[in-house]
Amino acid sequence: MSVCRPARCLFLRTTCNALPKPTPPKRTFHSTAPRPARRRRPHYPSIKAEDLQLLNQAAETTFPKYDTSETSLASKKYTPAQIAAIKAAEAVIDPRDLYTQGQERTDPWLLPYKDDLTRVDPVTDHAEKRSADDLASYMRGDRLYTPRKEFRKANEVERDEAIARIATENLSKLYPSGIPEGGMDKKQQAQFEEAIEAAMTQAALDPRVTYWSKDPKVSEVLADPRHSAFLPDLPRIENRMARMTRRLSTEEEEDPRQKRLLQYLDWDKTDLRNLRIKTLVTHGVTNQTRMGKIRSLYYLTIAGNGNGLLGVGEGKSVEPEEGRKQSVMAAIRNMRPIPRYENRTTFGDLERKVGATKVRLYSRPPGFGLRVQHLIFELARAAGLQDLSARTPRSRNKMNVIKATWEALCNQKLPDEVARARGKKMVDVRKVYYGGSVH
Amino acid sequence: MSLVNLAHVCSHMQNASKARLGLTSIPVSKLHVNLMLGLQREGFISTVTLGGATPPKPFLLQAQPDPEQLEKMAARLKEEPWNAYPVEGHAPLGKELVQEVHVPENPARRRLWLGLKYWNNEPVLKNMKLISKPTRRIWLTSEDLGKITRTRESSYVKGLTHPGECMFMTTDRGILEARDCVERRIGGMALCRVW
Repeated sequence: MSVCRPARCLFLRTTCNALPKPTPPKRTFHSTAPRPARRRRPHYPSIKAEDLQLLNQAAETTFPKYDTSETSLASKKYTPAQIAAIKAAEAVIDPRDLYTQGQERTDPWLLPYKDDLTRVDPVTDHAEKRSADDLASYMRGDRLYTPRKEFRKANEVERDEAIARIATENLSKLYPSGIPEGGMDKKQQAQFEEAIEAAMTQAALDPRVTYWSKDPKVSEVLADPRHSAFLPDLPRIENRMARMTRRLSTEEEEDPRQKRLLQYLDWDKTDLRNLRIKTLVTHGVTNQTRMGKIRSLYYLTIAGNGNGLLGVGEGKSVEPEEGRKQSVMAAIRNMRPIPRYENRTTFGDLERKVGATKVRLYSRPPGFGLRVQHLIFELARAAGLQDLSARTPRSRNKMNVIKATWEALCNQKLPDEVARARGKKMVDVRKVYYGGSVH
Repeated sequence: MSLVNLAHVCSHMQNASKARLGLTSIPVSKLHVNLMLGLQREGFISTVTLGGATPPKPFLLQAQPDPEQLEKMAARLKEEPWNAYPVEGHAPLGKELVQEVHVPENPARRRLWLGLKYWNNEPVLKNMKLISKPTRRIWLTSEDLGKITRTRESSYVKGLTHPGECMFMTTDRGILEARDCVERRIGGMALCRVW
């Protein structure tokens, strides 16, 4: 190897001529023609330019750039350093990526924010109420501005004048293009009268009517809805459905046991309606006493919300209905969270033994269905599992099968726990492969 | 290379973790040492120490550097962080504390001491089972291993279906985890599965 070689590489530009060419085969050793190589598929799908354009447009509409009004608003709220940080963060993330891959986290390990600010909560998202103290001084521009003269209670003349002015203002809001002159039919006339009445009522309730001030700024502040005693409250839904379903508390008979259960769960009665409750085992049992046999009925009931909660309850009583109710309440009270992989199957294979009964549950791919015996099927359906298979290789006692399945589902070993225990990082390969678009 | 001893080790590890032991010992052989190092790499056990009949001193009873010196070290490292990677024959942070463990001369008296791990009141290593048996060795190719690590059965070996389940193989590159074998495309003899 010569020393000059690297230097030559540095100083000489490689041209096409300098590159070695593959020499064509001089002689073929085969009598038959060689089979052409199979066309290789590219590793990545080629995307058409117009599709890319569509994607760009969709990303642009879903995540638009800030316009000037928004940036000016932001500059009032944040310091320049914060704005620079926001801009840098925005620049890092491509809106196309956000559009194709962005998703909200639903896993149980997501960060516990109080509110994700995606919807307006009528309770907390009110404009803050102002008191009379706020009237004394208010901000104008950057400095505190104190009005020249304070406000006082208006006398009658001022009041009437103010009512007339504000009513006209309100009416002009309802009819921005002016009142239609001349011919108004009956319906329009009625509407107009209604509008006048509404405007007058609103004007009468306006604080600008009750108080009078020389400074127009003060009356402006008075017109601020945040000073109103009638700040919009919780929206009251008024339709036929709401009226029909709304009932007085006295109308319904109260089951004291159910009431206690609801208190215990901190639930509403409507939540109970969404539960799947089923009694799976019923049989008579007898207690032999010196007086004779006392027959009673045993019930085993399962309850689940079809979305990862499952409970099993037992009840026994001489009265059949009483026993059943006992078991239902116990099942609801015993509901426990069931971890589900992709909201459809278990985390790996599970095994549990109760008495002589052994239950093995196997996680299965999407679309497999619930290929399990009827008791496990009911449990899986109530818990919201969709892909599962199972074996009960030993005893198939109904009560024990149900209990073993429930315990197995509740006591799953989660990959996160395994990772923490071993101090290793674990990644859900399926989720990575499908770009997070699995549940 | 009999697998009988390995079978004994497997059941001993299960028993020890059921009994919630913190430290246990197994007989020493090259196979055992390499397998235990593999287990440590996968995070199933915390320590692997060669020793004699008596266990090595636990970490909390070992001589520790005094807090003042540690503080000094921290300050020094903050100023000159490159000292965290010392050069041969030059110790700017002071001499490293090395724990001396007495290893008997007689190899038959040596034992391998293992630190077991627990998390949330559950042993990290709960199950350890032989795959190859002393009377029936099972050899797997890398294709078989690919299927097995993707939870499918292959060559009469059940897939790794439990969350975090590991399988150890003995190959011509040493004792490796099944997923490592798949990555390097080498086959070998299946030893045991752990979860």
